[in-house]
Amino acid sequence: MKIDKKEKAVVIIGTGPGGATVAYELTKRGIPVVSLEAGPRIMKEEYKNDEWPAFSQMAWLDKRTMSGNARIVKDFNGLPSWLVKAVGGTATHWAGATPRFLDYEWKTKSTYGNVKGASLLDWPIDGKTMKPYYVKAENAIGSTHRGGRPPLPANNNYKVFAEGAKRNGYKFYATGPYGTNAAPYDGRPASIQDGFNFQGDKSGAKWNPNVREIPRALKTGKLDLRPNSQAVQLTHDSKGKVDGVLYIDTKTKALHRQEAKVVCVAGNSIETPRLFLMSASSMFPNGLANSSDQVGRNYMRHLTGSVYATFDKPVNFYRGETMAGFFADEVKNNPKRGFVGGYYLETLALGPSFMGAFLEPGGWGKDFADMMDAYQNMAGMWIVGEDMPQPNNRITLGSSKDQFGLPAPNVHFDDHPNDTAMREHAYKVGEKIYKSVGAVQTWRTTPYPHTHNLGSMRMSSKKKDGVVNKWGRCHDIKNLFVSDGSVMTTGAACNPTLTIVALAIRQGEYLASQLKKGNI
Amino acid sequence: MTITRRNLLLGAASAIAYTQLSTLQTKADIKIASKAGDQQMVASMCRALYPHKRFAENIYMDVAAGAIKKGNADTGSKIMFRVGLDGLQAKKFDKLSFKKQTKYLKSIEGSPFFNLVRGHTTVALYDHKQVWKILGYEGDSFSKGGYKKGQYDDLDWLPNPRIEEHPDLAAFLNDSSPTKYASSKIIKTN
Repeated sequence: MKIDKKEKAVVIIGTGPGGATVAYELTKRGIPVVSLEAGPRIMKEEYKNDEWPAFSQMAWLDKRTMSGNARIVKDFNGLPSWLVKAVGGTATHWAGATPRFLDYEWKTKSTYGNVKGASLLDWPIDGKTMKPYYVKAENAIGSTHRGGRPPLPANNNYKVFAEGAKRNGYKFYATGPYGTNAAPYDGRPASIQDGFNFQGDKSGAKWNPNVREIPRALKTGKLDLRPNSQAVQLTHDSKGKVDGVLYIDTKTKALHRQEAKVVCVAGNSIETPRLFLMSASSMFPNGLANSSDQVGRNYMRHLTGSVYATFDKPVNFYRGETMAGFFADEVKNNPKRGFVGGYYLETLALGPSFMGAFLEPGGWGKDFADMMDAYQNMAGMWIVGEDMPQPNNRITLGSSKDQFGLPAPNVHFDDHPNDTAMREHAYKVGEKIYKSVGAVQTWRTTPYPHTHNLGSMRMSSKKKDGVVNKWGRCHDIKNLFVSDGSVMTTGAACNPTLTIVALAIRQGEYLASQLKKGNI
Repeated sequence: MTITRRNLLLGAASAIAYTQLSTLQTKADIKIASKAGDQQMVASMCRALYPHKRFAENIYMDVAAGAIKKGNADTGSKIMFRVGLDGLQAKKFDKLSFKKQTKYLKSIEGSPFFNLVRGHTTVALYDHKQVWKILGYEGDSFSKGGYKKGQYDDLDWLPNPRIEEHPDLAAFLNDSSPTKYASSKIIKTN
């Protein structure tokens, strides 16, 4: 449906897992929504099975800068994160892992105690509150191993990973849970094991909002979807309530304004705080909803790192789903290991094109070439662990400008000693796994540009500790919501998408009830 | 900037290169690395950076052509690339042993010329379709219908693993005493 720009609408910024889910929850209850998406709508037929062309097709490449002591600051200064600018958001290129938070991961301050330099905080919600929403999110995504859905089969990369884990006495390995159909489900086909999850999924077996929430919301007739519409400022009235969104048509560069009665921002952990900061006014000189000075702070990216290994026999690890192996034995908090929190290991494969660029950024020489030369005999895994929130790991407006002349965001990231200790531990476990099945050469790969971007608009029970309350509603501004992973108080060890969707379903229900009651 | 022998040499060389460039600039827009043998020289650097015995010379020549194109992007790049190329030629880099080539590359690591050639090579080399074939990578799969059973799982030198979750997993994840399971599995650091 077409919604007039002068009509005070519910406006949702971003169509990733958070924004699209809220849009669907509202429209299916009959509430009209304007969805602004900075990127184009790319359909599955247009995705490319080719790493660099696909990267150019969908990656968010607007100007960004970095500072801090994390290695990525040196290696990929202009590309702190690897996100997608398209309808469906970064889920367009997600691999699909769907673990849940563990119960104690909602209250890490209480569980881990004081960790020097870390700003741990308990969430204002807990595992019991979230349990029914996790079930709904798993059913929406179609998580394997859940809700009676079958597991994905073992591919070659998983065979190496699982046998290595087993030989080390580990037991909590499986091929999921993943958001790619092992059997037809919810109108989507089963996987044809075509890989290329990071390039979009041409078959439609993998969930993302562009194959489910967006088309269903459009079908209700209540969604006004506007691709190529990049929000650049939120405006407010004299009482401090948000009353409109300024956005750029990225094709024509024309500036538009949509009147709004409610705004939900879901631009991911860099763009969401950036938008709040760019919306500073005489009433709110430090940006919107920022009386606590918490907008942009406690940005997290998960621990991450990879271990690759080569063997004396073929693996062909790129065949089949990009990620289809999951290992949970080291996820539980156990400070005896020398760090708090825990991590998962997940199988991962890259093509030679990305492997050349990411195996060892800046790397060259015989060892590097030997690793690449044995590409056919290579196996790989990714480390995903909880990183410590730190107040100075933050998004600010930098001195550089983007293509529209707007201040580009600067991402500051320092590794916490806990992150470094956990990564070291995970590298050793990864190497042990591969060595036990005959690895010839192993390689510790440093974090890629961040795909998991969390925090920066922290959820807190007290106004002074964060930006939004337990519903994702700003403490300072009652008709302004945040609907993406930036609300994460702490990040837990698990891949974030399932939790983002679960939080968005819950927020959508709440927002719909408040709108129907006339409370907003 | 601290003055090192290398910086000093590069500085002197770039002054010479700049003089040559500005003299030639009046006649026609000059291109660097246009002489016979220049592309081979750059290709020898690409090979020394990423040495693969199985990769034919034409592959490294293709990659070198791309690096030279970037070197010709603007005047600043031309001057920088010219200096780097002069350095290779002065050393007769293509005639050096691999060991000596590596030693020389280490001595210029981090210079703009090194960064350009290395950064370009690591992307262009492993994105080369002939390289994919040599490495055994099959590329696009959707158009071929994906991989079938017996293809995506054709590894036969390890047993077939369990794919379901372990029956104790749910209890493990839900257990409220987080250290119970993990403590039995401490991996000693070092």
